Amino acid sequence: MATTAGPAAPTQGKGVAPLRAGQGHSFLLRRLHSLTGIIPIGAFLVEHFFSNFVATQGPSAYTKQVALLAGLPFVFFLELCFIWIPIAFHGLYGFYIWYRGETNVGDYPWMGNWMYAAQRWTGAIAFFYMGYHVWHLRFYGVHILSEPAAAFPKVQMEFQHPWILAFYAIAVVAASWHFAYGLWLFAAKWGITSGDNARRKWGYACLAIALIFIAAGVATMYAFLRTPLQPMPSAAHSAVLRS
Amino acid sequence: MADHKNVIIRIKRQADPESRPHWEEFELAWKPGMNVISSLMDIATNPVTRGGTKTTPITYDSNCLEEVCGSCAMLINNRARMACSALVDQLEQPIKLEPFSKFPVIRDLSVDRSVLFENLKAVKAWVPIDGTYDLGSGPRLSMEDQEQAYPLSRCISCCCCMEACPQFNESTGFVGAATISQVHLFNTHPTGRALRRERLAALMGDGGIQECGYAQNCVEVCPKDIPLTRSIAQVGGEVIKQAIGDLFRK
Repeated sequence: MATTAGPAAPTQGKGVAPLRAGQGHSFLLRRLHSLTGIIPIGAFLVEHFFSNFVATQGPSAYTKQVALLAGLPFVFFLELCFIWIPIAFHGLYGFYIWYRGETNVGDYPWMGNWMYAAQRWTGAIAFFYMGYHVWHLRFYGVHILSEPAAAFPKVQMEFQHPWILAFYAIAVVAASWHFAYGLWLFAAKWGITSGDNARRKWGYACLAIALIFIAAGVATMYAFLRTPLQPMPSAAHSAVLRS
Repeated sequence: MADHKNVIIRIKRQADPESRPHWEEFELAWKPGMNVISSLMDIATNPVTRGGTKTTPITYDSNCLEEVCGSCAMLINNRARMACSALVDQLEQPIKLEPFSKFPVIRDLSVDRSVLFENLKAVKAWVPIDGTYDLGSGPRLSMEDQEQAYPLSRCISCCCCMEACPQFNESTGFVGAATISQVHLFNTHPTGRALRRERLAALMGDGGIQECGYAQNCVEVCPKDIPLTRSIAQVGGEVIKQAIGDLFRK
């Protein structure tokens, strides 16, 4: 009863603060951060890896897939609400979470602790990569939503630079890992896998998910590299295609 | 094995909460079966540093000397653990002793761990049995429930789980694994259940269960092998169920 009965402790007010029951909004924000990682960001990642995997079927199949997505109603609204805002929140709040944690794998070099650190690093890699990726493929150069046939050659042009190619490969691994371990964390934190056995088994399943995503990403990249450079459609040509 | 060699111990010392810490090194004669606490007792009988300077005995918390009171937790070779069960023969030398880094130092290796007590009060970690009349005997616990509860009841409030947690720091003010596990213990107790909703609501406040990053150091360092990560997952599920339910109830 240091605070109520006995003399005040000489260290009172120092150190880590006790639980602030009934105060603040961190519970809502942390749980929203956890949820947005699965829906919609995780769901979008699945769609994005799948859509790009269509590139293994050749340029014309890829063009059709891009045209299908570009043809969705309210595309801009969908992108804004289900991709950009959630990713911006998840990414920026994620950096805030990282900033407030004290990674200590040096003193406690255990598996879970390494995964804790890796979740922060992979998230940061994926976040900065996405900034470049969205700017370069979505907003810069040929507008692929209005010219789906330009999508395949545009990605091929990206892959001409070895450093960019390496950046893509690293980001595929980082995003896959971050998503798969995010699934594991979600199940643990939301009480879905409360048992030790369930957590271990779900861990193997998540490892398999990570490897499947990485394999799909690598196969997709290989498809763009393997196919001879496709000609960029001229504006007139694509205008004919659209009419 | 340090067979007949002397034992070298480096200790981070601090005279009072305000003064700057400094290091002192001691050399002790090896004895069979010695542990960190017995080494500190040896220093107290002859408080002279390795360099021959006379100094004061080391201040540290300890009581039972058999890993059940939770007093003597400290950083031994950078890791949070109980000094009484840290056998010198199993430690790399020189043995480095430091007070916990996330708790205010009172003197030398003694720290103020009252934050855990405050946290336990915040979640009402007790069975409410006070009344104006005799409440009679409580309901029986099934064998299965007893087996679930007993490991949780072994918590010795040593705070190792909090010290090792990357999320337990002044920035987050995270409540820590021990308190969450006690919530699980009292929420599954047939009489303790009466305060179930209040406890879960308390864990939604700032510094609550949401700050857990699942690094799982807590369960690794726990000297009592308490299934802390299981408690966090189970209480985490209960908290989210209550939070979502409250959206519709309130």
